[in-house]
Amino acid sequence: MAAESMHPESQRHVDNLVSRLRRRQLVGSRQTALETVLVLRQVISKARFSHIDELIGMVKGVGRRLVNAQPKEHTVGNTVRKVLHHIREEYNAVAKGPDNTAKTAFSIANFVLLGQPKKQTGTSRSSLAGSTPHEAKESDGFAQGLRPVLMEAIQDVLDELETVYDNVSKNAKDHLHSDEIILTIGMSKTVEAFLKSATHQRQFTAIVAETGPSYCGHEMARSLSSAGISTFLVPDSSIYAIMSRVNKVILGAHAILANGGMYAITGSLLAATAAHTHSTPVVVCAGQFKLTPLWNLYHEHGALDFADPRSVLGFEEGNLVDKVDVVNPNYDYVGPELVDVYITNDGDHPPSSVYRLIKETYDDEDHEL
Amino acid sequence: MASVTSPAVRPESSRNAIGTDKHTPKADQSDPPRKQQKDLTKAERRALQEKQRAEKEAAKAAGPAKGAKGGKPAASTSSAPQKKQAGGIESSKAQSTPLKMPRDAGQPTGHDQLSQSRGLRIFSHFGLQKPTSHVKGDIHPVIVRLGLQFSSFKIVGANARCIATLTAFKSIIQDYSTPPNTTLSRHLMTHLSPQINHLVTARPMAVTMGNAIRQLKLDISNSDIDMPEQDAKDLLCKRIDDYIRDRIIMADHVIQDIACKKIKDGDVILTYARSSVVENVLLHAHAEGKKISVIVVDSRPMLEGKNMLTVLSSRGIPCKYLLLPALGSTIMEASTVILGAHSLHSDGAVFSRAGTALVAMMAKHHSIPVMVCCETYKFSEGVQLDSFTKNELAPQGDPLSTYPLVCPKDDLTLQPLPNLEILNPLYDLTPPTCITAVVTEVGIIPPNSISSIPLTLGR
Repeated sequence: MAAESMHPESQRHVDNLVSRLRRRQLVGSRQTALETVLVLRQVISKARFSHIDELIGMVKGVGRRLVNAQPKEHTVGNTVRKVLHHIREEYNAVAKGPDNTAKTAFSIANFVLLGQPKKQTGTSRSSLAGSTPHEAKESDGFAQGLRPVLMEAIQDVLDELETVYDNVSKNAKDHLHSDEIILTIGMSKTVEAFLKSATHQRQFTAIVAETGPSYCGHEMARSLSSAGISTFLVPDSSIYAIMSRVNKVILGAHAILANGGMYAITGSLLAATAAHTHSTPVVVCAGQFKLTPLWNLYHEHGALDFADPRSVLGFEEGNLVDKVDVVNPNYDYVGPELVDVYITNDGDHPPSSVYRLIKETYDDEDHEL
Repeated sequence: MASVTSPAVRPESSRNAIGTDKHTPKADQSDPPRKQQKDLTKAERRALQEKQRAEKEAAKAAGPAKGAKGGKPAASTSSAPQKKQAGGIESSKAQSTPLKMPRDAGQPTGHDQLSQSRGLRIFSHFGLQKPTSHVKGDIHPVIVRLGLQFSSFKIVGANARCIATLTAFKSIIQDYSTPPNTTLSRHLMTHLSPQINHLVTARPMAVTMGNAIRQLKLDISNSDIDMPEQDAKDLLCKRIDDYIRDRIIMADHVIQDIACKKIKDGDVILTYARSSVVENVLLHAHAEGKKISVIVVDSRPMLEGKNMLTVLSSRGIPCKYLLLPALGSTIMEASTVILGAHSLHSDGAVFSRAGTALVAMMAKHHSIPVMVCCETYKFSEGVQLDSFTKNELAPQGDPLSTYPLVCPKDDLTLQPLPNLEILNPLYDLTPPTCITAVVTEVGIIPPNSISSIPLTLGR
């Protein structure tokens, strides 16, 4: 429905990103988020719209196409939702002016009288519908006037994405003390930045489990040891064996779900369960762009993503290959009861308040793109 | 600093100054060099400072490169900045003794070295056995061969090692002849001791081997003095054969029967790595016509599950293969988990291949019964609290063979780097709470009541 108002060049950019996502040429949450923001910026800068709803519809259409290309890469959808949220916010700030602030400001009086601290975009939408006839006249000027504000909003999102690592590692030294032994799994750039910034003030030991079958733990171990952290590289089988000596488990996340659980690299469930058995705290470092308004109520298996079985049982074992089923899931689902805290670029949150974060970051009507 | 010089003092002063800058940390350096430096001219002082600075630069560049020479105080102090305490030298010296692995000498601060030594000290008792390159005393060639097979992990598994050891002892006993003025029952044991020590240096003694050897010693000391030597030797060999037959082979048959009663049609059985007992149980169940399917979970460093997979799939049992991290998503498909053990402790804890504890823990979380199949001769006196106090490291032998071919070799870290050590513990301890039942040849028992079996007490 928004195709006719989309500039052909933006269309090309969107198609490019869609095909790269589908072919898995683009992997990694932060990378996909950055590319999505750039494509959305392209779309919005060239878009012609007479009313804000048209723009929102256009962005939603693009978002739907991107999400369908790679449904397991949740940051794509999250970024689209965030951009939509910012668009609506900026629009309300510009169009409504000062009189809107009284309605949406948090006040104890309102809280006690009305029972809710913040009115979601429900009210602003009804007032939007009411004001459509007035603004239909000033179509071009409207779009032009709104564009710099929107560009600014998108720049905010881009800035947040680019400073994720710095903000997450800001309070690293408060979470680690000297002579601690940390366990981590696989390769997560957020955790790497977190540990590297902590090592400036605290001396600790890191144990890295080489997560099979990708064995990305090796890269993490090399990077940590080159930063001066004394590191041990162990196979996944010894996670339970060394857990009794580990003080903290620090994991990275692929996506944080609305119930406080998360998708993380395979092996995280083992580490988190072993830590839970030993009453060791589990800390997850993730950027806020990984917050997803999705739930994982059903079969833990079904929501997973499967990768190439060659890394588990390769063709060199020729006579086994056709007699045996090989399973190679990419991610694990870790329930909220196994995680103690999420350290995000916006502060530390327990899993029980993730639903609150999602409510503040995204708009309700965007949960289904 | 005073610029007065006394020429008489100069040669020794410069010698002392050079001597001190090599060996002293900050605390000592403050007083003697300043006294000497007062005696040098300004130009000489400047030359000395330049020389010290150049030495420091050179040593700092060379420091991280020569990781193996970490014990030398010269290297460690010259690469450290002046604020390092004298304690730093002691810690670097202390480090060089417990470990045979290369360490980093170029640590920027002494504080680093102290904490690094704590991390290293925790794992230092895991140290690798030295390869048996030379043979002390007269060791029987069978034992030499066995030692090599153990240290290169050609023979793995508690049962296999025990049977191999006992077979080797049989040939030693047959080749043995009692020296004059002593009896077989007294001397044979002293003859066997160095052989046993040789095996222990190849690889730490397994509990099964220990129990078998204890039984053998009992038999030797009970042998009749009046019996002719050949008869006594034959009797001992027969005892060894009986031990193998009764405690291992027949026990396995009984365990297969008992465990098979617990397996029914349509079961999905999950097992970890390769246990000879579990393999026999599964093959027996399949041979009895039960329709089972097996999930084999495997992991580095030994990747023994592939052998299990080959055996099972060649008999036509439908199998699924996955690596340990993937367990979380597939554990729910399993109806039973059957595991093997290296040894069983008196509190019911199972000492087994590394990774078994994770499998048992996940199964317990999903309320799936865990059966451990274990003969009674694997029971060990004593209680182990965690996997740390007694463990072994896997050989560094051919590391590439356990990594998949699709993994580019440059991504892998196979050698220790400065600050990076690689550990591959072989065993871990599963707490008794994760285990539902232990299947032995005397029946199925709960893990806590191991000590109530008279057979194990009588051994």
